[in-house]
Amino acid sequence: MSAGGPPILDPALAPPFPVAALPLLRNSQLRDNVAHATDVIQAKRARVVAEKPDWQALRAAASSMKDEALEHLAAYLEQFEDRCKAAGGHVHWAADAAEARRIILGILRQEKADEVIKIKTMTSAEIQLNPFLEAAGIRPYETDLAEIILQLGNGEPSHIVAPALHVNRGQVREIFSRTMGLPGLSDQPEALTAAARQYLRKKFLTVPTAISGANFLIAETGAVVIVESEGNGRMCLTLPRTLITLAGIEKVLPRFQDLEVMLQVLARSATGERMSPYTSLWTGVTPGDGPQNFHVVLLDNQRSPILARSTDRQTLRCIRCGACMNTCPVYRQTGGHAYGSVYPGPIGAILTPQLERLRHAQSLPYASSLCGACYDVCPVKINIPEILIDLRARVTDQERKTFAKFFDPMYLGLRIANLIFSRACLFHLAQWKARIILQFFTRKDGWIHSLPGMGAKWTETRDLRGLPRQTFHQWWNDREQTTREPGAR
Amino acid sequence: MSTAADSRKQILERIRAATAGDPAHSPKGGEKGAPTASGYIRRGVMSAPARLELMAERLREYDAVVVECPPEALAGTIHEHLKASGRRTFVVPAGLPAEWLASEVVWRIDGDLPVDDIETADGVITACFCAVAESGAIVLHHGPAEGRRVISLLPDWHLCVVYGSQVVETLPEYFDRCENPPRLVTWIAGPSATADIEMTRIKGVHGPRFLNVILVRDQ
Repeated sequence: MSAGGPPILDPALAPPFPVAALPLLRNSQLRDNVAHATDVIQAKRARVVAEKPDWQALRAAASSMKDEALEHLAAYLEQFEDRCKAAGGHVHWAADAAEARRIILGILRQEKADEVIKIKTMTSAEIQLNPFLEAAGIRPYETDLAEIILQLGNGEPSHIVAPALHVNRGQVREIFSRTMGLPGLSDQPEALTAAARQYLRKKFLTVPTAISGANFLIAETGAVVIVESEGNGRMCLTLPRTLITLAGIEKVLPRFQDLEVMLQVLARSATGERMSPYTSLWTGVTPGDGPQNFHVVLLDNQRSPILARSTDRQTLRCIRCGACMNTCPVYRQTGGHAYGSVYPGPIGAILTPQLERLRHAQSLPYASSLCGACYDVCPVKINIPEILIDLRARVTDQERKTFAKFFDPMYLGLRIANLIFSRACLFHLAQWKARIILQFFTRKDGWIHSLPGMGAKWTETRDLRGLPRQTFHQWWNDREQTTREPGAR
Repeated sequence: MSTAADSRKQILERIRAATAGDPAHSPKGGEKGAPTASGYIRRGVMSAPARLELMAERLREYDAVVVECPPEALAGTIHEHLKASGRRTFVVPAGLPAEWLASEVVWRIDGDLPVDDIETADGVITACFCAVAESGAIVLHHGPAEGRRVISLLPDWHLCVVYGSQVVETLPEYFDRCENPPRLVTWIAGPSATADIEMTRIKGVHGPRFLNVILVRDQ
């Protein structure tokens, strides 16, 4: 869909953010689609947040609940496991993506499944489950409308709540009419939605295995909670014989009652609704109601090391509402594909580099203007700018450890600056030389509009103020001499 | 290759190592009780009639059809509503009060009805556990009069009977009404919907397209 070929959302293979962003910025269709969608969600969110006089108290409560859960994460996970098993569920632990894929495939093989229906789960995209299942001969059917659009159109998600927000109705019509064999399909959203309903109805009624993610796990009871709009989630949670829930370890909440806060902030932040149409909670297995074979796969995949530092730990409070991307001036220009990960936007810019242990995605902490809009809207008060700055420092530290730094103009420039700024004589000499050189480039209006060589990097995108005739130092000394009156001191 | 037990141990050890620097106190929660943080609004302030009015208004915003009646007129109201729908076959949970089923339509009483019988029904009638006026959400705990999850999902038309005494103003008030955490809950806020195509809200993707609510004024 982008002008520069299909987007790559594997952080290990994706190009750096500025490289990936360039073709997207030139794609005016995509930018229109993203701007329209994020404008609509933001306006809806603002309306339902404004009607809550206790919004800030809810944010504070949500944030401290997640903090409490993370502080005692091991104990709460063990409690969840215990209660879930007591209710008839099976609990698996996956240290990394490969192990999670292996566990899920094992369960599907046991069930002799050759098809599986899926509820939208970013965690499944994170572990790249679909291509793995396909290679193993099991066909995954996405059931969320946006995910169907992407699956049938070979697209990639560009948002964590509305993954196909970069696609417009005409593009959806094209994808559906081609892949579902409906040449006369109109581009009315009603008609497109009806086509998806038709396409999936039989799958829901016949495929006996389903895979879901989780919005929350409840330690107190072993319950799992999923928030959705379409009813595809309820279908997958109710009709199949076997259900596999894949959840990051950070999804656990201490108590059932914590939902009284979480459910108030999640839907408002995510879709600008007071409550999503459907929120489902289930506990293990209920005889006669829903899947009788239930598995939870708890995924670490580099989450546990993020707990170690308190600044970083905030990242794991995230409840995946997507409000930060809707408001981000960078995301709103580039869309999600530039981030080279299934987690785009400000949260992706801090989460992806940490999940990758900074081996990849080093450019992401710089994909921000640090304006702080993301922090303002975050329902669990993640101080994203603080973490971005911290990650930038770590990226720099990392680069300092290699010999390549001696070829990096930024590094060399700063080392030279360091030397000059630490000695007054060198500083004065540099000022004197710079004034002589720069006066050749300074126009009559007092501005430098273009510089040659390395300096062009600056003047390509902005003008530079010419150096004044005097330095502050010289001006001060002159002033001292002209204003000093005898006997003034 | 590591075994399953190894991974469990390894993950828990990694978490314990990473959280070891935290002040050493045991987890506070994990049992029933109020969340540690507070300061947000827990109790509503509305009178009962205002609360019902807000509930009806929110439901209508979701395009639900709302009818109000006094308790003694409930059976008649259900009858009228079914007749007006022009539908013939209705699934009901086994625990629904018998006097609600006065109409001359085809009743499919669910115990363990096959999926096909539910799918081919024209509608479903259920009671509810609670309703939250502020967000217009109906809460099902899937007890005997609310039925299995599947029956309020497959038919295209859902009629839910909500008593005024079941309507609370705020979400925390619903949680206060739960003596023990329920095993199954479905919060329904309007009919199935999507906004995945250009953020245009479309009603009825997979769940029931038509939500009907009878609000019984029993207070």
